[in-house]
Amino acid sequence: MTESTATVSKVPGLSWRQFKAILRKDIAMELRTKEMVTSMGIYTLLTLVVYQVALSQTGSAFDPRVIAGGLLWLAFIFTSMLGLNRSLVHEKDQGCLEALLLSPVDRPVIFFAKATGNLIFLAIVEALTVPLFAFMFLQQGGYSPGAWWMVPLVMLAGSIGVAGVGTLLATMSVNTTGKDFVLAVLMIPLMYPLLLGAVSATSAAILGGDGSMQQYLTGLAWVGGYDAIMLLAAFALYEFVIGA
Amino acid sequence: MRQLKIAIVLLLIGGVLTTAAFFMAFYTAEVQSFGTVTFDEAIDTAFPLIPSAEEGYAYGRPWFSQKIFYFHVPVAEASFLVLLISAFFGVRFLMTRKRENDTRSRVAMETSLIFVVLTMITGVLWTKASWDVWWEWEPRLTTYFIMMLMMIGYFVLRNSIEDEERRATYAAVFAVLAAINAPISFMVTRILPSSHPVVFQSGFATSNLVPFILGQVGMLMVGYAIYIMRMSEERLRERIDITKEALEA
Repeated sequence: MTESTATVSKVPGLSWRQFKAILRKDIAMELRTKEMVTSMGIYTLLTLVVYQVALSQTGSAFDPRVIAGGLLWLAFIFTSMLGLNRSLVHEKDQGCLEALLLSPVDRPVIFFAKATGNLIFLAIVEALTVPLFAFMFLQQGGYSPGAWWMVPLVMLAGSIGVAGVGTLLATMSVNTTGKDFVLAVLMIPLMYPLLLGAVSATSAAILGGDGSMQQYLTGLAWVGGYDAIMLLAAFALYEFVIGA
Repeated sequence: MRQLKIAIVLLLIGGVLTTAAFFMAFYTAEVQSFGTVTFDEAIDTAFPLIPSAEEGYAYGRPWFSQKIFYFHVPVAEASFLVLLISAFFGVRFLMTRKRENDTRSRVAMETSLIFVVLTMITGVLWTKASWDVWWEWEPRLTTYFIMMLMMIGYFVLRNSIEDEERRATYAAVFAVLAAINAPISFMVTRILPSSHPVVFQSGFATSNLVPFILGQVGMLMVGYAIYIMRMSEERLRERIDITKEALEA
């Protein structure tokens, strides 16, 4: 057994091929069912409707732009929990997780493949949400927002952290009796530093003005640092979670 | 059993030390009046603030809400230390797979949760006295709130898993994540603007330092004593369980 494992791990580029295979499986399943992107997308759309209700009494003097960063990330964090839960529930219900564990794949490869899949689906939903959100809530003028790449960049940086830590937590929560509730209880406190930095950077990018670039870069660096530390931790801990 | 005796002795000494620190805070500690708070306007209702050249506003008159410092900061630091201990035993569990380490990690988390709740209560009292609001979404308060939520999440996670081995593993993993996340949340206060006083940056008089250290040492002793007592209780419970099983068999 040990000998065969040693031979297997010596094949060059094997981890990369395994990574691609798991990722391709996730994408193929999504292309067939379109379940995750649809459910996450509709959930986000409904969140935007609730925003309209929440802002309905603010009057025309209030510009939703000042809280746009927070509103966007609120929608993303909740919809990501929905998607993460689904992504892992499928694996578990259809016995795919056991099959993956039986196959001679390194555990970190499973983690990175699942996290990348979740990141892709979350990024698609975000890419659909941001223009819709701008169309619905950011019509008032009088601002000088930052360059076009600023919002997508911080969204990507934030989503990496959400997908990475979220994949680890969702792998734990699917094995509990509480499932999605447990995921929320674990995820939101852990995501707090990332959300704070991401909202700060997103607001700076959307609002613009003096010193917004400085605020944006601070927030982005914050999110990047959080990603690096937490992904490293999640990567190290995943083996224990998936083996239990 | 010997450990339990040590724990009781430590609890007594710790109680005496924290009480001594409490009294010293009122009778011997001098009141700091330098730049502990920077506000754009004076909002302390009890005592007005005096404009100071460097730090915005400074307290020129006795500032009694400051007295809570000798309880609040020791208990906050103790809670943080005990959380790290919990994470340490979490790592130990993942390495050794011994049930003992899982129990240690859980008991440490319980102790830490007690301290975090105490920090929150004293913090809220101070906020009311000094800022005239019960709650303020200020980064450091928020950090502790988040820490408390993570600890509650830890116990929710534990209660939501039937399988013992899996429960221990997941709990250990989450304890490590929480311990990594807590200092990150702490650093938020250094990067994003905050109005929580940062006392140690501005220096410290001896009459303040003595009660503070007494309070800190006493609080750590109390924490250790609580931890040991809970551990011996857990050991007894395990023994009862084993005996029960043996009797039924």
